[in-house]
Amino acid sequence: MTSIKRGLELLLEWIVIALMVILAITVTAGIAFRAAGAALHWYDEVASILLAWLTYYGAALAALKRAHIGVGEIMHKIPTIPRAFLYAIGECLIIGFFVVVIWMSMRLYGALEGVMLVSLPWMPERFVQSVVPIGAALFILAELLSIPEGWRALAKPAAPHIDELAPDSV
Amino acid sequence: MATLLAFVALVAIVLINVPIGVSLGIVACGAIFLTQGTNALVSVPISLYSGATNFPLIAIPLFILAGAIMNASGISQRLVALAVALVGFVRGALAMVSVGTSLFFAEISGSAVADVAALGSILIPAMRRRGYPKAFAAAVISSSATLAIIIPPSIPMILYAVMSGSSVVQIFVAGIIPGLLGALGFALLSYVFARRYDLPVESRFEFGEVLRTLKEAAWALCLPIIILGTIFGGIVTATEGAAIAVVAALFIGVVVYREFNLANLREALIEGGIQTAVVMLLVAASSLIGIWLTEMRAPQAFAEGIMSLTSNKWAVLALLNLVFLVLGLFLHSAAAVIMIVPIVMPLVHSVGIDPVHLGIVLAINIGIGQQTPPVASVLMATCAIAKANVWEVSRVNVWFVGVLAAILLLCTYVPAVPMFLVNSFYR
Repeated sequence: MTSIKRGLELLLEWIVIALMVILAITVTAGIAFRAAGAALHWYDEVASILLAWLTYYGAALAALKRAHIGVGEIMHKIPTIPRAFLYAIGECLIIGFFVVVIWMSMRLYGALEGVMLVSLPWMPERFVQSVVPIGAALFILAELLSIPEGWRALAKPAAPHIDELAPDSV
Repeated sequence: MATLLAFVALVAIVLINVPIGVSLGIVACGAIFLTQGTNALVSVPISLYSGATNFPLIAIPLFILAGAIMNASGISQRLVALAVALVGFVRGALAMVSVGTSLFFAEISGSAVADVAALGSILIPAMRRRGYPKAFAAAVISSSATLAIIIPPSIPMILYAVMSGSSVVQIFVAGIIPGLLGALGFALLSYVFARRYDLPVESRFEFGEVLRTLKEAAWALCLPIIILGTIFGGIVTATEGAAIAVVAALFIGVVVYREFNLANLREALIEGGIQTAVVMLLVAASSLIGIWLTEMRAPQAFAEGIMSLTSNKWAVLALLNLVFLVLGLFLHSAAAVIMIVPIVMPLVHSVGIDPVHLGIVLAINIGIGQQTPPVASVLMATCAIAKANVWEVSRVNVWFVGVLAAILLLCTYVPAVPMFLVNSFYR
């Protein structure tokens, strides 16, 4: 279990690193080429796609590290048995939501057959949008693998160490 | 009725610690299924994808990355040394240094938690060694970090601009005067506390020392000029300015200061990616529920409900301030912006409030929310670094929150304060 979790964490970390680097390079190249008078017509569409990919692969990594923004203050204060019951309901809701996302994505992708990107006509839209069901599946896996950590975090009082804070980036 | 039920369900799910982004998605799916049937759920993956492809929001990962690179580049120590040389002769100088360096960091990172992580670990131990009370040291670091979301670039401002359809650059510019006023207020308040606690001066003012530390920090000082200069000058968009920030921070860290290594970069990229994903999942899920709320005409109903009570712009601003403050007590900043902005915008337009003005009002409210428990991300981060009790720090911090509240009132009811630069240069 621990090795599967560590393997998934490493995989997602490298995907996120690659996407961050490619995104930064793409936007920088877009500025440089425009300044040189040879604007890249594909740059804003590709950068937006990279952001979507970063969103869903990063969201799975954040789920694995239990770093999503939530409100745990009430759960910290209630007794163990009702807390366990509510925690189980919460996990079922999360997994159920992403199952629906995968199910609906499968229904949608038939309709996307033959649809290509506007700026890169050789790139299938189905490939680009596959990030949603793949990200949903990874989120479910990450959620299942980190259930013990999530439970332990809820059992602790709300005085987190700096490294354990939800990354409220703003 | 359906909207009210959806809201109650959302609150219930959020309170059992389901991530807010996922909670929005769950409620949206449930609402779509119950009101429109199973087939309508096919819009879920479409909205989740399109909601995450918003070009201006690319600025978020890039600014987070620039801030993380800067934190790992030895810039903090150089800035602190310069600030000590400049104001070390003042009583309670280290508190002033905290405010000054936070102001500088605010001009690059756009993230208050990033500021706390960068400066708190250096300045809180330094203040403790010089006899500053722990609660005061934590309070001044925590409050000063809030300048990051008022002074441009600011991630909540980017989110607000996208959600409200306003100009990112104009909102950035509107944050300059309130941010500077906040820094001035914090510095004055720190001086009052310094007199009360009889805090020491650090060093005599020596022009040679100022020049030496200025030379060391000169490259770092160029960063905000490059970033904000190119954005405000109209040379690049805010998103492109964020990419320039990444390149400039890397150049200074790797080539000039040579204190940046690949391990630091790897950590910065992972941290930046996670922070971005957390915010972007909220954005994507909010677009999902936003479509349903629009179909139910919820924002319009909210606007009509308020307008039936009053259509006075100033009364509506007071009401919105109250709503933002209460939300800020219980929600993290990105979540608060994403959840409230689409609902209030029809009302804002109806009563004639300038969306740029409201953006600053919202940013200051979020700043206050970051300092007020139970959900106070920046205060909690600072207390974790200072190993201080949240409530003890809050007893001192309440004075700094008072400064923010005074600036909030000033910016709300004297719109010229935030809007002067916008009206002078962009309208």
